[in-house]
Amino acid sequence: MAGARPPSALLRGVPLLLAGLCALAVCAALSLAVGTRSVPLSTVLDALTGQAHGRDAIVVTGLRLPRTLVGLAVGAALGVAGAVVQGITRNPLASPTTLGINNGAGFAVVVAIFALHLTRPVEYVWFAFAGAAAAALFAQALARRAGDLDPVRLALGGTVLQLVLLSWTSTVMLASKRSLDEARFWLAGSLAERPLSVLYPMLPTLVIGLVLALAITPALNTLALGDDSAQALGVPVARIRMAGGLAVVLLAGSAVAVAGPIAFIGLAAPHLVRQLLGSDHRMLVPGCIIAGPLLLLTADILGRVVIRPSELQVGIISAFLGAPLLAVLARKVAR
Amino acid sequence: MSDVLRTEKARVAAPHAAGPTHAGRRTLLLTCAALVVLLALVTCSVAIGEVPLAPDAALKGLLGLGDAADVLIVQQFRAPRMVAAVIAGAGLAVAGALLQRMFRNPLASPDVMGVTGGASFGAVAMLAAGASQALIPLAALGGGLLAAVLLGVFGWRSGVSATRLVLVGLAVQAGLTAAVNFMVVRFPTELAGSALQWTTGSVYGRTWTEVWAAGAAVVVALAAAFLLHRKLAVLDLGDDSAGALGVNTDAARLQVLVTAVALASLAAALTGPVAFVALAVPHMVRFLAGPPTAGTLALTGLAGAVLLLASDLVAQYLLPVSGLPVGVVTATLGAPWLLVLMIRQSSSVNRSVR
Repeated sequence: MAGARPPSALLRGVPLLLAGLCALAVCAALSLAVGTRSVPLSTVLDALTGQAHGRDAIVVTGLRLPRTLVGLAVGAALGVAGAVVQGITRNPLASPTTLGINNGAGFAVVVAIFALHLTRPVEYVWFAFAGAAAAALFAQALARRAGDLDPVRLALGGTVLQLVLLSWTSTVMLASKRSLDEARFWLAGSLAERPLSVLYPMLPTLVIGLVLALAITPALNTLALGDDSAQALGVPVARIRMAGGLAVVLLAGSAVAVAGPIAFIGLAAPHLVRQLLGSDHRMLVPGCIIAGPLLLLTADILGRVVIRPSELQVGIISAFLGAPLLAVLARKVAR
Repeated sequence: MSDVLRTEKARVAAPHAAGPTHAGRRTLLLTCAALVVLLALVTCSVAIGEVPLAPDAALKGLLGLGDAADVLIVQQFRAPRMVAAVIAGAGLAVAGALLQRMFRNPLASPDVMGVTGGASFGAVAMLAAGASQALIPLAALGGGLLAAVLLGVFGWRSGVSATRLVLVGLAVQAGLTAAVNFMVVRFPTELAGSALQWTTGSVYGRTWTEVWAAGAAVVVALAAAFLLHRKLAVLDLGDDSAGALGVNTDAARLQVLVTAVALASLAAALTGPVAFVALAVPHMVRFLAGPPTAGTLALTGLAGAVLLLASDLVAQYLLPVSGLPVGVVTATLGAPWLLVLMIRQSSSVNRSVR
């Protein structure tokens, strides 16, 4: 099927990827310029090269540049994680959330707020990553059978784990008003108030996860044919699935740790790219590296604009924006 | 999705090979067991409380016999809550079973398809508008139906395809959840608290009016679900075979979908979107009783009722923090069962099917 496509057919996607890159560059520029205090693009350019000074320059380099970089990293991580998790579970409903990643992080953060009286997103990073990783590893341990991950059990076990964690989170939040008040903003998922110092500790895990995901893309194509066929074609199914699972933990775990639970990007980006570039994972994964941040940054910019001077969490906007997109895409599904 | 389909086909084909009487007897036994447990839980839930009653006095009170004070306590305060939990549990579980079977996807459930998101949206919007408490169930029902209409508008295109509906459902759910999130973030803390309370799902303070109205409608929808069962079995064979057998697959799918949505939105109107029941109970029943039949559908309903009622009892009397909604318990109480069943099922036979 997709794995058998000759390289020339693969190359047809390259112009689309380039177009995506251009769109992403435009988005990043807008993300630097637009906000409560709008800055002209020329000033942005000057500020980036260090020629401009004053309030505008400080806004651009001090606030918006970190925010945009965080958005790029988080969006790419979520998009790739979504593509990989759908590949290894062979289920279009799966997303990093399916492994319990968002809810694991959410529960850990709410407990940390409740027990340790934390108040700033910067302080939540390690709790969130630990919670996300623990939940995702537990979900995969549940699904292990005879040394392999069972896709159906992974999806089902992960979803169940997710519901259990969600109910515990609600319990803590309902039992303590203060936790509810602090946590509800983090739980919506946001890029605001994320300095680069939040991103740095997560960079190694992000890079390792990305490399791992790119390394297994050819094998994911074979996996799409079914376990038995993949085995017959000489792909170590169990090992590929484990590597994929690990990549998802690293990528999505870091993304959640930085930005909070953003559910929709990981689900929508692979579906969007699949419509445009086909289901070959060698195009799908690079496509998601572009589509993920594109969706996330667009949502973030809109979130800053719609209720100026206040702003709306990117998790909310991305779902609002992505939902009609996914619905329209779904209408095109031929089957 | 195709391998899930194959699994389902194998499961449908299995009973004829292995002997249908065995599976049938097992289902019957399990159904009896579920009935006994449900009866015990019903007795507990009408007997336990601020004024503890003897079990026989409580059951008599439920039927309107015995001491007038007992009758008042049981019928006015305890019975509506109990009945609401039973009806909603059954409705959610059957809705989940219908959707999972029709979409041939183990993750399909009203929570994924936008119905419960719609119910939350309706209720939280009412809270935001400051409307009276009595309007909230109606708003929840309206929200659920709104989600269904959105599903229909986007999902209908010269026929109903399973993949498209699932994707559209995801989109609807995501959009409505975002709307709820938006309101929770913009609310003052107290309102955010009550919104969270409601969206977690609670059976606190149900009145007979609500219970009768929703209950009657749920019973009708349940009857429809059982009538549709034959068509579902044919749909299991795949679109081509079902068409060849003379079933209009689009119409059949639409009927199943409408029934499932109605069940789920009515249940959500009664108790709020209680998580886990619709997703997990059908799986538990399938692990225990084997391939889906009309019997297992009934068992699914019973098991849902048992889970929700048991969770409500735990939330009311066993948790250290009082006043927590039932929705915080269902997953914790139900998950270990499901996980044990899942791990026990790891036989090599099933492996080869997948």
